[in-house]
Amino acid sequence: MADLGYICLLIALALSVYSPVASLAGVRMGSRQLVLSARRAILLAPAALGVSTAGLVGAFVNADFSVSYVAEHSSRAMAPQYIWVAFYAGNEGSLLFIAFALSVLAAIAVRFAPDALRPSMPHIGSVLMLVLLFFLAVMVFLANPFARLEIVPPDGRGINPLLTHPGMFVHPPMLMTGLISFAVPFSIAMGSLLAGRTGDEWVDAGRTWGIISWALLGIGLLLGGWWAYTILGWGGYWAWDPVENAGFMPWLVITAFIHSIMVQKRRGMFRMWNLALVIIAFGFAQFGMFINRGGPVPSVHSFGQSTLGWIFLAFMGGTMLVSFAVFFWRYNSLKSAQTLESALSREAAFLVNNLLFLATAFVTLWGVVYPLISELFQGEIVTVGQPFYNQVNGPIFLLLILLMGVAPFVPWRHAGWASLRRALVMPAAAAAVAIGVLLLIGVYIPWALISYGLCAFVTAGILREWARGAHARHRRGESYPIAFGRLIAANRPRYGGYVVHLAVVLLALGVTGSSFYGIQRDIALSPGESADIGEYTVKYIGASARAFPDRTEATAEVQAFRGDTFLGTYYPRRDFYPSFNIASTLAAIRSTPLEDLYIIPGELLPDERTILRVYVNPLVMWMWVAGPLLVVGVTVALWPQRERSGAYAFSPGGLVAATGRRPEASAG
Amino acid sequence: MTTKTGRAIFARLMLPVMLLALFAVVSACATQAASPGPQDLEAEAQGIDQSLMCPICPSETIDQSQTEIAEQMRRTVRERLAQGESRDEVLDFFVERYGEGILAAPPKSGFNLLAWLVPPIALLIGGSALALVVRSMRQEHRRSAAAPLPGAAGLEQYLAAVDQDIRGLTADDGGERGKDQQPNG
Repeated sequence: MADLGYICLLIALALSVYSPVASLAGVRMGSRQLVLSARRAILLAPAALGVSTAGLVGAFVNADFSVSYVAEHSSRAMAPQYIWVAFYAGNEGSLLFIAFALSVLAAIAVRFAPDALRPSMPHIGSVLMLVLLFFLAVMVFLANPFARLEIVPPDGRGINPLLTHPGMFVHPPMLMTGLISFAVPFSIAMGSLLAGRTGDEWVDAGRTWGIISWALLGIGLLLGGWWAYTILGWGGYWAWDPVENAGFMPWLVITAFIHSIMVQKRRGMFRMWNLALVIIAFGFAQFGMFINRGGPVPSVHSFGQSTLGWIFLAFMGGTMLVSFAVFFWRYNSLKSAQTLESALSREAAFLVNNLLFLATAFVTLWGVVYPLISELFQGEIVTVGQPFYNQVNGPIFLLLILLMGVAPFVPWRHAGWASLRRALVMPAAAAAVAIGVLLLIGVYIPWALISYGLCAFVTAGILREWARGAHARHRRGESYPIAFGRLIAANRPRYGGYVVHLAVVLLALGVTGSSFYGIQRDIALSPGESADIGEYTVKYIGASARAFPDRTEATAEVQAFRGDTFLGTYYPRRDFYPSFNIASTLAAIRSTPLEDLYIIPGELLPDERTILRVYVNPLVMWMWVAGPLLVVGVTVALWPQRERSGAYAFSPGGLVAATGRRPEASAG
Repeated sequence: MTTKTGRAIFARLMLPVMLLALFAVVSACATQAASPGPQDLEAEAQGIDQSLMCPICPSETIDQSQTEIAEQMRRTVRERLAQGESRDEVLDFFVERYGEGILAAPPKSGFNLLAWLVPPIALLIGGSALALVVRSMRQEHRRSAAAPLPGAAGLEQYLAAVDQDIRGLTADDGGERGKDQQPNG
């Protein structure tokens, strides 16, 4: 099995060398045959890497401990379903996974490329395959997942216990796929640039793939938060850890990109800017992989540590250098007549959006590298942790939410203050009412009030827009549900975007609630004793321990009450893995829309007592609701649309764009 | 709310209402900062926990970590607070023992001020750059606006037709836009 996997890895390597050579030679010599065979090589690569992947998974299934990677990351005691997790638990395996994912994405991108991209396809495919080549070369020459051990051990070392959690089946693959998927919009942009197609041909495909990358990585990050919340046992979901940041930064840049690309799509502006953004986004994605592969900063996510990091850094540096060289080589043909009618327009609003997203990405990057700067210049090792990011990025996030409430109602080209004010009166009133109600129920922390006020502001704006659009269609005789459906179908990018914005509001609700109003207590209890936390009473019944070959599971039995009402019995668990000297906890969470009661068991003390850590985390559930909602929004936004069919009809921005009128200008 | 006068009154009331709300927020916050009780002491202690890193575990504060040393440090924090030490004094105690790296964020003094100043400065520079770009793009527009668009006549006709259709669809919108388009309106 492993040998077949290795052979297919070599085949994939050959394909990824052949394809760019053949397609570029084909373009130069005008040979259609060569270009076509290069294309077939791209379509074939996923098959080769699929077999390779199956080979490694097969080695796990057969417990083939002669393969070093299998011996390192699994054992006979491991539950069989974790073979999939063990597959990418270390460096070599995750590289294989990344390569496989990239080859699949590349094949899809090439196979389903729109006609507009056809002339630049040889170049786009070449860039994709060169990125793939890097990963394959690293595996073949430096980190072979199929390397054999000379002495076959009787049993493997076992899987890292922190990885034995349902979330691990999807979070790491999603995150890795998300990061590597940035190669696709990057390749589309770079390939078009190399082919001399410097116009707007790449915009639609670039936007589609930008949104796909955005969604994959976004969901990967959310799943990571969910995993941290339910297993890492500190009651939180995001710690601004370097590895988390490394995944977050590219996401921020691609978010800026999928907004500003709309300006090029609709108005043909910001050509250079969008290219630069997509290049930077890929750079950050590579940086993320570098930090993941054992970068210079300590992290709780030290799963795949190795010295490979520096090769990834070189990969990133090389890519950025070449990309910007190409960028400046084509610089002159990229210039577009970029004129802006007004500083109060959708175009300008998107620029502000870009500024804020890039600022957040920069702050995050600064926080990641500052410890190195400090060490270099003052010889002191400092930590840049949560308090820094919360204080610096927090306000920028609030500005972004404010912008999210205003910008969708600023028309293209030129907005009038009067019409904008009319659009915003109702949302502003909703915000005022929300703040008033919160004050009445005792929410006094200013940041929380501002955040919730802004959430109400954004939500009211979006709902108002939907209601007005549906109402207008209703008056033409459509029933409300149909009117609403057709409204959304008429301008999917816009209404999909609104759904995503609502998901972001849900995230903001959860983040704000748990950051400002979370309660936490550590309580030592003997069996039968109880303690109060917030409105809850927690009663410790007792604990039982079970021994397994690789771990002991200590399960606590805890009853929860609110006042006299019995809420239920909960069984938080603490697993201890002696061979790793690691304890992992499985929190018991009672989730309600209003708040979570979250219980983590501590060690059993000799006198039968145990220390329970109990949190009350308001509104966190909404953060997990945001995930599916986000997927819905992205699906709507990406759903294929007939070209411009009535797309303008109900967007106030579109109205002005379509009519070309400048209401306020004529009044002035 | 559907009538125009209703809306106008509503719009006019907005500003005072929002100002009032803001005032309420500020005053409410002011009254909150009252004397510390035992509850506040625990909150203060947890705030300190979140500002101190666990010395042996990467990237975890003593608030998050469940190691013995973190627990010990949490206890020390509470003891020192109970003895009447301030937040800064408690933090200083740990800095003396473990160095500045024990703090979850660099202190806002000396060289480390750089960590805090760079982000707002960057945002300021970015914002100014943006303002300059917007300004130059607008100037470009004014220059090009003087020249008529090629094929503008045909476009104008088409746009008029679109305009007509849209007015039929959204009658109330049409009314508002009509008002905007009045000269000197």
